[in-house]
Amino acid sequence: MNLRISTAPHIHHPVTTKRLMIYVLLALLPATGVGIYAFGLPALLLIAISCLTAVLCELIWQKAAKKPVRISDCSALVTGLILALNLPANAPWWLAVIGSAFAILLVKQLFGGLGDNFLNPAMAARAVLLASWPVHMTRYVAPTFFSGVDAVTAATPLSTKSAELMDLFLGTIPGCIGEVSKVAILVGLLILLFTRTVTWHIPFTMVASVFVFSFLFGLGNEEEPLMFALYSILSGGVLFGAVFMATDYVTTPMTPVGQMIYAAGIGLIVAVIRNFGAYPEGVTYGILLMNIATPLIDRFLPRKIYGYQKEGKKA
Amino acid sequence: MLKKTFKRGIHPKQHRGSKRPTQDAPIENYVSDSVVIHMAMNIGTPATPCVKKGDQVKIGQVIGTANGFMSVPVHASISGEVTAVEPIPYLGEGNVTAVTIKNDFYDTWVDDLKPLGSVENVDPALVIPAIRDAGITGMGGASFPTHVKLTFKEGAVCDTIIVNGAECETHLTADHRLMLENSVRIVDGLRAVMRALNVEKGIIAIEDNKPDAIAAMERAAFGRVGVRVQVLKAKYPQGGEKQLITAVTGRQVPAGKLPIDAHVVVLNVGTCAAIADAIIDGKPLVSRICTVTGCVKEPKNLRIPIGTIVEDMIGACGGFSEEPGKIFFGGAMTGIAIPNIQTPTAKSTNGVVVFNEKDAKSLDESACIRCGRCVAACPVGLNPYKIKVAADASDFAAAEKLHVMDCMLCGSCAYMCPARRWLTPSFRFAKDKITAERRAAARKAAAEKGGNDK
Amino acid sequence: MSEERMSLGKVIKNGIITENPTFRLVLGTCPTLAVTTSAINGLGMGAAATFVLICSNLVISLLRNFIPDKVRIPAFIVVICTFVTMVQLLMQAFVPSLYDALGIFIPLIVVNCIILARAEAFASKNGPVASACDGLGMGMGFTIALVIMGAIRELIGNGSVFGMNVLGNSYEPMLLIVLASGGFLSYGLLLGIFNLIVKKSEEKRKRKEAEAA
Repeated sequence: MNLRISTAPHIHHPVTTKRLMIYVLLALLPATGVGIYAFGLPALLLIAISCLTAVLCELIWQKAAKKPVRISDCSALVTGLILALNLPANAPWWLAVIGSAFAILLVKQLFGGLGDNFLNPAMAARAVLLASWPVHMTRYVAPTFFSGVDAVTAATPLSTKSAELMDLFLGTIPGCIGEVSKVAILVGLLILLFTRTVTWHIPFTMVASVFVFSFLFGLGNEEEPLMFALYSILSGGVLFGAVFMATDYVTTPMTPVGQMIYAAGIGLIVAVIRNFGAYPEGVTYGILLMNIATPLIDRFLPRKIYGYQKEGKKA
Repeated sequence: MLKKTFKRGIHPKQHRGSKRPTQDAPIENYVSDSVVIHMAMNIGTPATPCVKKGDQVKIGQVIGTANGFMSVPVHASISGEVTAVEPIPYLGEGNVTAVTIKNDFYDTWVDDLKPLGSVENVDPALVIPAIRDAGITGMGGASFPTHVKLTFKEGAVCDTIIVNGAECETHLTADHRLMLENSVRIVDGLRAVMRALNVEKGIIAIEDNKPDAIAAMERAAFGRVGVRVQVLKAKYPQGGEKQLITAVTGRQVPAGKLPIDAHVVVLNVGTCAAIADAIIDGKPLVSRICTVTGCVKEPKNLRIPIGTIVEDMIGACGGFSEEPGKIFFGGAMTGIAIPNIQTPTAKSTNGVVVFNEKDAKSLDESACIRCGRCVAACPVGLNPYKIKVAADASDFAAAEKLHVMDCMLCGSCAYMCPARRWLTPSFRFAKDKITAERRAAARKAAAEKGGNDK
Repeated sequence: MSEERMSLGKVIKNGIITENPTFRLVLGTCPTLAVTTSAINGLGMGAAATFVLICSNLVISLLRNFIPDKVRIPAFIVVICTFVTMVQLLMQAFVPSLYDALGIFIPLIVVNCIILARAEAFASKNGPVASACDGLGMGMGFTIALVIMGAIRELIGNGSVFGMNVLGNSYEPMLLIVLASGGFLSYGLLLGIFNLIVKKSEEKRKRKEAEAA
């Protein structure tokens, strides 16, 4: 009989890194499905190319750097999929390839791989694509829903503010593949919350923060600040960002309070960029900037440690 | 009644079923052919053996005498002949002297048992010496000498005694069964201690997943002045001394201090029952209840003479049901793995759990994904992921700054970690290192001081 | 004599590879990041800096025994300023387009740390010939680095090298790489690659030595 010797604990929670990633993929499924349904074959191709590139890049890097190959933890797949969902459906295929490769190789692996990247890989890649090929990245098509109507090029709704709130909610407006249907994103959020992959802190705080700051900034300029605030949270990538990108474990603070500070910061930056900045959309930059602030939040947020409470507070 | 609990912690829900095989199994008496009783049963100084090979001993006879204040005597747990007095290796503590006794199955007790009478009339001054002479140590796992716990330094005030019936660990049901079958003894032990320390409040704390034990203890406590049952929400590590105090009283034990600094003493239910045996019957601590579960054919709660060999206990439970991969003393969250089935039990062994090869498989560490589950789980409020980085880099000064010394090694963070990082083992290592360093520094300082005096 | 030439060759090689100011010493990063949006800009900047480096090293080396230690930095700066002014006027006269492209970074050569560092670390301790060679080596190292970076950034960001269209009309340039953030990105990557190559070649050399021993 050969008994193993190990130190406690001898049991573990069944959730592993891989299972968490699968939960995220599962939660992305509704948005992916609606995206493909809305934009058709080009969207499907883009998603496939992006995912494939991400996984391949991870594999090649880990082989080349003689590291253990861990593509089976699905983290590269998640990055590839999120990036694809952040592209306009008619983006050229090479945009997805470059974006995925950039996300995996430069943002993730060069800094040490899973867990050590200081930026959200998909977000950083999107920012690079946006700065490099602004025309491709902002030429949105209206969803066709396989109706046979030719895709019309339209400006992003944020710049025209012509779309109705309901259209925004259901996803019948032009936009990125994953962002169009808010219903699908909310279903994804429910999946994430139900599987306890994320807590409510980041998504709700971020949306609330965008709402509050848009309302405040709209007070002086808009006729109906409340409608404007509502419009702000439904348009663009706010919901998708709040649910899938701002909640990335690696680049968010560890404590619930820290996460709420982080998410509120994103909301503020988004509202500022949209109302006072040169860009129509600010979710990407909001998330990236607060990613950078994450180590600071984690470092300077005090924690209450057992046994150190003040004498006077004793019951 | 209002259910109380502490902050954070975990719910090992997936392992809730681990208690099921034994929670309805009544305590069975089991006596084996021979026992191996080692002398390092308590934290502190080991006892010195006072019998030699060939001696005849009776149950309750002192076979090891206490060495000073931080030590308790050791008693023979069966009657028979001493066949060996020799050092044996024991659970990573190096070699300890152990006395092997061969059972003659006459079960004769020593003649001079000195009962102190009922707990209502006992002389308070005699209780604590009686506890020491009975060789009672903490039965919940830490094996701290109970008389030391009950002897306060000058000026300390104790207003509450908590009886720990939380049993938050997985797999174990020994305390649960004891509360069901021996509830009056537990209350008697508590009352004896309350009388000895002149404390008016005694609280029996039980988690809400043991409703039958709550009912039994409430019946036993009925009409006893100052004694009541407090129901707690089931959560791990509620049975941890500090968490229990916070859950029941809302007070915190200051860092690096003892429960008495929060004016509380915590006793395990098993310890209370042993105290009652010592006061009412004059019997020393010679047996205890131990849950044997996991991959054994008939999981049971056994009352065993202290020093029973694991192999005999497994045999009493019908043998292994699967090829064992790992066996440990205690629950799965904090249990200590044993190297072979010849290992004898001690006063603190509340369970023997057998894992099959599949469950015993050690897990590969992968990269931290900063999910924050360890932070959410830590009942002390530490940042386990940060301490792990410091400990892995052997930067123990940084680990100390991150309060690794406040870690109580409950295992909650390592349990939750999706990357399966070896958090608790790292912290144990870091704590041992820092303790060793502190001792060395203290010795050096003492040596220098001595040099100056000359 | 041959021995000295050997060492002079070594001094030049030192500047180009072993102690390449841009990739190994990470000096003069400000103009490196700012002007390398195209290969020709990199070349112009490199040439101007090389000229100043050779001349200032030579003059400072000649004057090294006359300059009092306490005021050496102001003295070096005065010498460097002289040559920078000369370069600036010459470029303005003969290559006005390049002069416009480089703009403020030409006068800023005065405070380029490579030049001051070489004056301080080499020219003030060595003879004029060796100092001039060091200036040449360092200048060439700087120029080569700038041209490489400029070429790469121009290729990716504009599809051309030295103004010649290389990748064809269907190539869609990556704008980011010629922006400031792209400068940091490409500089960081090139630094990494250069260090990797140096590390690998050193390992190879050590292995060979170990085999020989």
